[in-house]
Amino acid sequence: MHIPDGYLGPVTCGVTYAVMLPVWGLASKIVKKTLNAKQVPLLAIAAAFSFVIMMFNVPIPGGTTGHAVGAVLAGILLGPWAGCIAISVALAVQALLFGDGGITALGANCFNMAFVEVFAGYYIYRIISGSSAITSGRRVVAAGIAGYAGLNIAALTAAIMFGIQPLLHKTAQGQSLYCPYGLNVAIPVMLGEHMLVFGFVEAVVTVLVVKYLQKQDPDLLKIKKEVAA
Amino acid sequence: MKNNRFVERSITGALSFFKDAIFADEEALKKGFLQARDARLKMLMVFVLILAALFSKSIVFIAGIYAFCVILALASSINIIFFLKRTWFFIPLFSLCIALPALFDIFSPGEKFLSFKVFFVPLSITKQGLSSAGIFFARVLTSVSLCVLLSVTTRHYVLLKALRVFRAPQVFVMTLGMCCRYVYLFIEIIQNTYMAIKSRAGGVFGIKNSQGVVAWNIAALWQRSYVMHNRVYEAMLSRGYSGEPKVIEEFDFTYKDWFWLGTAILILGLSLWQNHYLN
Repeated sequence: MHIPDGYLGPVTCGVTYAVMLPVWGLASKIVKKTLNAKQVPLLAIAAAFSFVIMMFNVPIPGGTTGHAVGAVLAGILLGPWAGCIAISVALAVQALLFGDGGITALGANCFNMAFVEVFAGYYIYRIISGSSAITSGRRVVAAGIAGYAGLNIAALTAAIMFGIQPLLHKTAQGQSLYCPYGLNVAIPVMLGEHMLVFGFVEAVVTVLVVKYLQKQDPDLLKIKKEVAA
Repeated sequence: MKNNRFVERSITGALSFFKDAIFADEEALKKGFLQARDARLKMLMVFVLILAALFSKSIVFIAGIYAFCVILALASSINIIFFLKRTWFFIPLFSLCIALPALFDIFSPGEKFLSFKVFFVPLSITKQGLSSAGIFFARVLTSVSLCVLLSVTTRHYVLLKALRVFRAPQVFVMTLGMCCRYVYLFIEIIQNTYMAIKSRAGGVFGIKNSQGVVAWNIAALWQRSYVMHNRVYEAMLSRGYSGEPKVIEEFDFTYKDWFWLGTAILILGLSLWQNHYLN
């Protein structure tokens, strides 16, 4: 889902940066208020953790592998605002140091994965888990649904970004300048692969990590209450 | 052994990450043209060149920016094989695969360039399709190359500090710098953990067990991370951290840095002017 430079036109890149700037500003303010000085390194560690999650290849039946984004997990463990900063930092490190995901597309990538996926996943998890106990099975189900739905909603926003490029940028001769496929191709392709493969990878990782933490250290699943707005 | 290939893939991925990072740092320490530039202005220069490629509607113009990028890599004593391998593989080749269907009249209707039949199905490559796919691929390749050029000619911690030029809040810059260091540490932990699992379990896992191992690794990593942040905070306090991060500025720019930034701005101006002219 990492969009490289060159896929999106200047309008989409500019608009997504314009949307993300106040989100980052608000996230910094809220996190500064809610996170005490002692927890500041936690943000950096969480960002590195998100980065590393993306390196784990999870086996999928059929012999292939895929990797999770970990955005919903970051939201559940840190709260949505701190999760948003952590995923944004991980994406910035990937784009700047390893050329994975673009510099001009960083706003778009952060919008999809650090904003849409984190917030959608976090609120789905909260709604489904309700006031159930930290160790209840309902939270495991909530984590799975949140992981699957969060990633697919983010895939949909990415697909819309791809699909509007031919509408926004075309020469008089009908030549596309950026991503060449319209909404009729981009949405089914992006949603298809995410609904059939990557959504399940995200769900499996989120479920198994929540389940493991419920058994080993349930207090870690309470952290979000301290740092969430 | 097929089912446990995920372990190998993850370790290979982590190792290549390490190799690339160490190699990039070696390249950044060489005496070359871009290594001698001020990190802040160099970052601006690369960003402006990426914008020039982004705005341009001409494949020839984008190819010119790419040629300029390769010349900069050569002038910076970058190992050109490493540079081309790093910039051509994966994202640009993946983009080329994505662009291929756009060659045909199904996706890009227009003036026919070449017509043929595949299993009695008539297909045509159109001039509009060729042009769309070409410009798309050229833009992605040029942008990825510029980004890689920036990261291999600048030490990683310097690059992150240079973000201050974009007025990024200090908490972001500090988090980025710390994050980068922890990434190396975490990858080392994962490598050691996988190695330990492999040496004890013999390396054969079913899919379900494999998924469990991955989840266990991720969760255990989070547990360790959470414990670690307390120790890191104590280490920060012992080094004088008072709640407000301070970034030490060690940058120094010369007229040459400004000249090359001016050149990049000129290229961006040309790109915008050309768009106006083409319209």
